[in-house]
Amino acid sequence: MTEIGKEEIKLKVRKIKRTKREVKYKHYPVVDDRSTSAHEYWEPIVNTGLWSIKGHQIVKGPWGGGTVEEALKRPPKEFMVIDRAAFALYSHSYGLVSPFFRGLLEGKLKGTKCPKCGTVYCPPRAHCWNPKCKVANCEWLDLPLTGVIHTFTVQCLAAAPFEHQLPFSMGWVKIDGADTTLAMMLHILPKELFIGQKVKIEFLPEEQRKGDLTDCYAVAVPGQKVPEWACLQKYPKELESLERSMKQTIEFIKKRYGVDNSSEVRGW
Amino acid sequence: MARDERVAICDGGIFRPDLWHGENAEEGVAIAYQELLKNVPNLAADDIDALCMSYFSDHLNGQLCMGWIVQDYLGLHNKPGYRVESGGSTSIDAIVNAYYMIKSGMFDVVLIPGWEWMCEVDVATTNEMIASAADTDWDFPVGGYYNAYYAALEVRHMQLFGETCEDLGRIAVKNHNNSTRWPYSQWVSQHGTAPITLDDYWKNRMVCWPYRVLNCAVMSEGACVLLMATESKARRFTDTPMWITGVGLGTDSMRPGDRTVDFAYEGMKNEAKIYPDFVEPIKTPYPDMANFGSLHIAAKRAYPQAGITNPLKELDLIELFAPYDGVELCLWEDLMLCPRGEGRNLLREGVVEYGGECPSNLSGGLTASGHPVGATSLYYTLFLYWQLAGKIKAKCGSDGLQVQDARKALITGHGGTGCQGAVVTFESD
Repeated sequence: MTEIGKEEIKLKVRKIKRTKREVKYKHYPVVDDRSTSAHEYWEPIVNTGLWSIKGHQIVKGPWGGGTVEEALKRPPKEFMVIDRAAFALYSHSYGLVSPFFRGLLEGKLKGTKCPKCGTVYCPPRAHCWNPKCKVANCEWLDLPLTGVIHTFTVQCLAAAPFEHQLPFSMGWVKIDGADTTLAMMLHILPKELFIGQKVKIEFLPEEQRKGDLTDCYAVAVPGQKVPEWACLQKYPKELESLERSMKQTIEFIKKRYGVDNSSEVRGW
Repeated sequence: MARDERVAICDGGIFRPDLWHGENAEEGVAIAYQELLKNVPNLAADDIDALCMSYFSDHLNGQLCMGWIVQDYLGLHNKPGYRVESGGSTSIDAIVNAYYMIKSGMFDVVLIPGWEWMCEVDVATTNEMIASAADTDWDFPVGGYYNAYYAALEVRHMQLFGETCEDLGRIAVKNHNNSTRWPYSQWVSQHGTAPITLDDYWKNRMVCWPYRVLNCAVMSEGACVLLMATESKARRFTDTPMWITGVGLGTDSMRPGDRTVDFAYEGMKNEAKIYPDFVEPIKTPYPDMANFGSLHIAAKRAYPQAGITNPLKELDLIELFAPYDGVELCLWEDLMLCPRGEGRNLLREGVVEYGGECPSNLSGGLTASGHPVGATSLYYTLFLYWQLAGKIKAKCGSDGLQVQDARKALITGHGGTGCQGAVVTFESD
């Protein structure tokens, strides 16, 4: 493996660094600009990185058709594996449900209601999906910051952008007054987590909010007892083995990101 | 005109799924095509009227229009052909699409090349790219992996109907041990043919509770081609055609969280009364975030075409698209092999094991034998073809898991969290 110095990459990017973001909405005013310097960072990478060759390896491996046994019997061949890079930054409109995400920035939960069938949507839909309502335009309403866990999981594996937060629980919460359920992070320990649990929705500190679903999370309403039918706690062996896995995950994250996600440090 | 004729699967070819292949996708498809040509010596390029390309992702390989590369590589580029894509449903939809192409009367013989090369980007990125088939505004930002979404679906089903983690372990053991008898299996390539036990399952690493590594689909590179034809043409290619007797498609909400008011399924099943009373009732109790409505409705559409009234009794074996083990259990219910909530009984009573009344995933399925998305349903359809043709011994070198005198079989496929799915039923002469 050849080391590519960080400096070299930086220089390559700097050479064509753009100072202004590409204007896509020429005729429409930007009434609030909270974009970041990401555009300055990403756009040059797109320009230098797309299909750029980063190196290669020669790999000796099995080849040809047939069964596993037949393939392993043949003398292996050498394959050339080339590293090519590609990146993109998407500027995506939240569309007619933008008020929901602006609401998150203000620490509010908003839903929509169909004027015809009365269904309350959170996640909001700008148009009712009840076939009887013929795609009626829905109306906005403020929802309370309380709800009930509809279902959940405890993750010891997550996509790269969320990996440093592992282990964590996510689930779908039915916000009080709404008919649909909203996916969100659950800041609740597995030993206390159950379907039907009452939760409060809380928000990250204002300066950390980004206008995306992870700006909010659920915490348990205190004083609830785990019912004896709860599927995670019903089998102590299972809960123990989950907690063991979570410990391993915490160690892994500590090593990889230098973050301590143990419950004593996180406070949940 | 061929519209009145039955449509047959007339053999195919496999380029076995594995974690990594030196060959690239078009070469893998060519190797599978070589095997088809060996299995069907009567087949010449001139016989093929059209192609239906089956592959899921553009961004896993950074190559758009890979179908053109494959058609060109096989030397079949003067023929009508296009790609079918619908996430995990891709490969079963390619079969359904080829069936419609033939039934329309426009084409008599259709070749389906299917493939997926999933390991060019690292596993985390592959998972992330796959998860972009989930709603990127509303579901992806929270954890960002299908493992989590499916785990949450299973937790809901488990809470409503009482299967246990041990049941999920039993399914994992069943499937992995079945796969050790199938010599094209990815599990065999990576781990050999030693059987696993429940003990191994309990020691297995947790991914998203209640799913462990052994419960989750593998990442694969692999290819498969299927040959489909009208009745009159099929007889030229094979003595043991497998007839498509029923085809059903279904769809459901994009976000599983919306299935609490799933109007399209309102009144579909009167499930309220089997809901346990400790769970707060919701507007549309079926499918909820527990079962798979798209596949239930697909089965309801396919069974009458095939004349199936009692699937458990009539089907000799089934291959279910189960990227996570709980899905297999839920599908036994949604396919009406048993009432909703009783899937666990079929498992505990051995009904779905080899030798049982309706063995499920004798191939090993997606968690063990491989899941190269665009090839997946083709691969398992070919397994069924060899089962119904009685050719498992010829393919495995031993009787493997040949079901004696198997005549009727079924396959399912779906994408997303059951956002789209299909059921296809088969019958031999």
